[in-house]
Amino acid sequence: MGTESAVAGGAVTMDAAFWVATVIFLVSYAFIISEKIHKTIVALVGASLVLVFKILEQGEAFHLEALGVDWNVIVLLVSMMLIVILMRPTGVFEYVAIKSARVGKGEPFRIMVIFAVVTAVISALLDNVTTVLLIAPVTLLIADALELDPVPFLITEALASNIGGTATLIGDPPNIMIGSRAQLDFMQFIYNLTPIIIIVMVVFLGLMKLFFGRGLKVRPELKERVLRMNEREAIKDPVMLKKSLAVLAIVIVGFVLHGFLGYQPATVALFGASLLLLLSGTKEPHHVLAEVEWPTIFFFIGLFILVGGIVKVGLISWLSTKLLTATGGNLLATTMVVGWFSAFASAFVDNIPYVATMIPLIIDMAHQLWPDLQGTALLHHPDLMPIWWSLALGACLGGNGTAIGASANVIVVGMSERAGKRITFIRFMLYGMPIMIITVAVAMLYVWIRYFVLGW
Amino acid sequence: MSESPRPPREARDIMESAPPFLLATDSVRDAVRTMYMGRAGAGTEGVPGLVVLDAGGSLVGLVSQHDVLRAILPAYMTMVDLSEFAWDEMLGEMAARMAVKTVGEVMNPDVVSVAEDAPLMECVDLVVLHSLDCVPVLDAAGKVVGVVYVRDLYRAVAEALFPQEA
Repeated sequence: MGTESAVAGGAVTMDAAFWVATVIFLVSYAFIISEKIHKTIVALVGASLVLVFKILEQGEAFHLEALGVDWNVIVLLVSMMLIVILMRPTGVFEYVAIKSARVGKGEPFRIMVIFAVVTAVISALLDNVTTVLLIAPVTLLIADALELDPVPFLITEALASNIGGTATLIGDPPNIMIGSRAQLDFMQFIYNLTPIIIIVMVVFLGLMKLFFGRGLKVRPELKERVLRMNEREAIKDPVMLKKSLAVLAIVIVGFVLHGFLGYQPATVALFGASLLLLLSGTKEPHHVLAEVEWPTIFFFIGLFILVGGIVKVGLISWLSTKLLTATGGNLLATTMVVGWFSAFASAFVDNIPYVATMIPLIIDMAHQLWPDLQGTALLHHPDLMPIWWSLALGACLGGNGTAIGASANVIVVGMSERAGKRITFIRFMLYGMPIMIITVAVAMLYVWIRYFVLGW
Repeated sequence: MSESPRPPREARDIMESAPPFLLATDSVRDAVRTMYMGRAGAGTEGVPGLVVLDAGGSLVGLVSQHDVLRAILPAYMTMVDLSEFAWDEMLGEMAARMAVKTVGEVMNPDVVSVAEDAPLMECVDLVVLHSLDCVPVLDAAGKVVGVVYVRDLYRAVAEALFPQEA
C-alpha cells in the first residue's frame, strides 16, 4: 500500500507515470489560475484523469488520506456550512452588525474597528466568505446612513476576515487541511496561532487608523440615524436563534475538547450540524442541503486526488528534496522561506490548492529529515512544528495581498461593485499589499522569537 | 354611423398612438418626469411604463414604474433583509442617487412587443407572462406605433362584462 513512508523520501523514478501525473497537475493548475474554466470542473477533470491513467487506484483516491480525499476536511466543511445555513435566517448576523454600529455610536472609525473585530472573531469560528457576505450588506447600509464611502470599511472587513480566519483550526480552509493531515488539534491552533493573530489585529487596526482615520467625518444628525436603529428587529426567528446558539456553543466546546476526548473535528461538526437539522424541525432537508457550496466541496475532492497523483509518482518528494537543498537543511531558513513564499503565492493564487500541495511536501521533507520517525512523533517533531505554523500564517495572511488573494476579497469587491462603488485591483492592493507584508513580517518575527529564540 | 360600434378586438383598437418615448441615454430623472406627466390631460395621471428607443428609433427596452422603484432600492437591501433599518429620508436620498443613472441602466432590455393586429388576448398573455405594465405595438416595418397599457386592457375586460355601461 502506498502509505506516507512508502512514497516519501525515496529516489524518484521519472517514468511515464511521473510525467503523466506531472502534466495533468501542471495543466490543471494553469487552468485554475487562468480562471478560463471553473476551478471545480478543472479539478474534477484532472482528478478523473489521474484515475483513468491509473496514476492512483480508485481505492487509494477514495480511501487513503495520504493520497486521496481527506474526508475529515470534506465533512468538517460541509457540516460548518450547514450550521451557518441554518443559523442565517434567524437574523443573528444582522443583529450583531447593527448592534456593533450602535455600540460605535455612529462614530465612523469606531464603527470600522468594531466591524473589523466582529468580522475577525466570526471568521475565526465560521467561514470567511459567509462572514463577509453577512457583514458587507449591513456595512453598505450604515455607510449610506452616515453618507460615507463604504469602500474603506469593506476593504477593512475583507482583510480582517482573512486575519481572523487564521486564528483557529476551523477559521480558514488551509488551517482545516493542515490540522487534518498534520493531526494538530483545535487547541494547538489556539495556543500557537491565536496569540499572534491578536497581535496582528492590533497592528492592522493601527495601520487602518493611519490609512483611513482622518477622512472619516460625520454630521451629528446622521449619527442619530444609526442610533435610532433597533437591532432587535433583525431577529426573525427567536426560537431557532436559541437552538442555533446552543448548538454553536456545543460545537465550540466540542472543538476545544476534541483532542482530549479523542474525536476528529469533523465528528464534532457533523454532530452539531445534524443536531441543528433535527432541532430546526425542517420537513424538507433538501432545501438546506442544496445551499451547501457544493462547487467548493467538489473542488476539494478533485484537488486531493490531483495532488495525490503527484505525491504517488514522487514529484512532491523531488520538490521537497530541492527545498531542503536550497535551504541547506537549515530549519529556520526553511520555516521563513515557507512563510514568505506561501504569503506571496497565496496573494496571487488560491491558497487552497497551494496548501494542498505544500502539506505532502512538508510531510515528505520530514521523512527525509527524520527517517526513523512515524506518525505524530514525526508530524509533531518540535523542529517541524514552526513550519506548520509558518505555512498557516503565510497562506492565510497572504490572501490579503490582492483583490483575488482570498475568497472574502473577491466577495467584497463584487458586492461593492453591485452597490455602485468599484474597487479596482490596484486600489485594493494599495491597502492589501502593505498590510500583507507588515502582518506577515510580524508573524514571522513571532515564529522566529517563539520557536527558535525562546524555544516554546 | 356607417360602422356599427364593435368591442375592441385588436391591439390597434385600444393602443395609445404616438406614445411618449425615451432614449436609452436619457436620465432616469427624465423617465420619471415623462411617466409622471404622461396622459396629463387625459384625466388619468401618469403612465406606468414607457418604450425605450435607440437613436435610430428601434425598440430597445421598456421602463416601468416598477423598474424605477427597483433602481432606487439599494443592492444591499436585496442581499439580506434590512428593511427594518431604513431611515426617514432614505427614499429621497436613494431617488436622487438613482436619478443620474441612464434609462439604459434600469430598463428591462428583454424586448416584448405585438403587431397592430394582434388579438387582445395576446397582449394579456404577454402582460401576465412577463409582468409588464405596457406592451409596445409595432408596425410591419418594426417601428413603434403605439403602446397598450394594462389599464386599457383592463377596461376592455370591464367593457366585455358590462357593455351597456361602456
